[in-house]
Amino acid sequence: MNSKANKKYTVMWPTIFIAPFVICFLIFNLYPILYSFYLSFTDWSGVGEKVFVGWGNYVRIFTKDKTFIKSLWNTLYIMILGFPVSIFLGLIIAAFLSNLKKFRNFFQTINFLPYITTPVAIGLVFTFLFDWNTGVINRIIEAFGGEGVNWLGNAKFAPLVIGFMIIWKCTGYYMALYLAGITSISEDIYEAAKVDGASTIKTFFKITVPLLRPITVFIVLTSVIYALQLFDEPNLMFNVSTTSIIGGPDRSCLTMVWNFYDVAFGSTARLGYGSAIATTLFIIIVIISLIGMKFMNGKEEN
Amino acid sequence: MSRFIKGFSYLFLIFISFISLVPFYLMLTMSTYKTEQIFKGLPFFPSDYLGTNISTVFQSNFIQAYGNSLFISSISMAVCVLISAGVGYAVTVYNFKYKKFLKTFIMLTMMVPTQIGIIGYMIEMRSFHLTNTLWPMILIWFANGFGAFWMIQFIEGSLPLEIVESARIDGASEPRIFFQIVFPCIKPGILTLCLLIFLWSWNSYLVPLVFVNKANLTTIPIFIKGLANAYRTDYGAQLAGLVLATIPLLLMFVCGSRSFIKGLTAGAVKG
Repeated sequence: MNSKANKKYTVMWPTIFIAPFVICFLIFNLYPILYSFYLSFTDWSGVGEKVFVGWGNYVRIFTKDKTFIKSLWNTLYIMILGFPVSIFLGLIIAAFLSNLKKFRNFFQTINFLPYITTPVAIGLVFTFLFDWNTGVINRIIEAFGGEGVNWLGNAKFAPLVIGFMIIWKCTGYYMALYLAGITSISEDIYEAAKVDGASTIKTFFKITVPLLRPITVFIVLTSVIYALQLFDEPNLMFNVSTTSIIGGPDRSCLTMVWNFYDVAFGSTARLGYGSAIATTLFIIIVIISLIGMKFMNGKEEN
Repeated sequence: MSRFIKGFSYLFLIFISFISLVPFYLMLTMSTYKTEQIFKGLPFFPSDYLGTNISTVFQSNFIQAYGNSLFISSISMAVCVLISAGVGYAVTVYNFKYKKFLKTFIMLTMMVPTQIGIIGYMIEMRSFHLTNTLWPMILIWFANGFGAFWMIQFIEGSLPLEIVESARIDGASEPRIFFQIVFPCIKPGILTLCLLIFLWSWNSYLVPLVFVNKANLTTIPIFIKGLANAYRTDYGAQLAGLVLATIPLLLMFVCGSRSFIKGLTAGAVKG
């Protein structure tokens, strides 16, 4: 009787509560990835016969496909432009906010607004802001006697604009996460530091930053994964129906996922080759995740 | 804290908040202009064209897109949060074999980028005969790695096990404990996850881009993007549409702001 009751709580109920997640994951998330993996060894346009090509697609990605390599570098470049600044700013804002008593909620709400704005809106508004002839940014530059910059038409500046969009959008999210972390640090530690005569700045670097490490690892890891899949912002900014060239000026904003989308659903319908690109991207992300998880677990064991 | 740092932090925060708000504010004011007027001056003050822009938006397929987006986001949110809470509850309350494995597995699912499998997903949906419905845009949210991870963190951190124990002694069934006793205890975590899933599915762009093949399936982001082609480039109308599209998110966030921050705090403690 006892073991029967026990089984209820060690087998039956756990299974019932966990099964929906596992089943949905297998059907709607894992199976599609495995099927894409299978397709990556074929040449297929979605209709007709699949032609098996072995490793051909992969060989092509790394030896012949300059667009893929370019999109890889573009993605990494935009990532480095945007995320470090955004995460750092998020931390600084959170640190300032945690010291405030008045207006804390107010600033927090305002700075979170960009994160809830639809990317389509961000793309559109930034197109206005950075327009060469009529954009607000160039008008301000001209008002100060400078010369307007062709932000969106120059391969040098276009990634900068995307980087800025990311900073504008994500900082509030990182701020919220960091603020949550800072709030959970015990007051006693700060009191002790105060008694010892530590300055505010020293307290921040010696106490706050190290104690926030788990959150920082989480943020860095998730934002790298997010960055490697960047698509919405550049696509919404530079996907203009009037030109046939994708990826902005000189394809400087063509990210990996945009390239993937274009191969599979955009200008061509090469589902086999697109799957190979997706699988490559998947492997890159999994490797990075595993490294990151090692960091996270290492922290827990300490 | 010294007065200097305090003053500086206020200035810094005001500056940052200003930058956060400007594009937002411009979206609002520009939506009140006629497209030709937007480019003539700096659109810092509202004009009087909002009514016309809004009626342009409503003459098109806007209501359908709005309804579709609401449908997609509501169902995705409800199911995803329920499934995730179930996982969090099971991991916290029960002791079972493979628990550690399950936790690692869920962390991995959080790292797995779902949109990578979209080609396979499309073929799968085709064989389920769902490509002419809204379901492909909903089903992909059901098993969300972040959601499950989040609920595990939150429930482990905030659910007192004694409550569950004493409910069991009182003879309450497990589903009843889950819905009537545990749910109220983890309300901030639930609300936070609801907000995030609603937000992400509402703003989702790539998946609808692949699956929206007919006007009656369109979602808000795809629809707004399409307005550009439908009416030469009617920026005024596009922006008015965007303002209307942001309203539900804004309402949700402002109403749930307190819970949201509380939920984030409890969920992020263990990061």
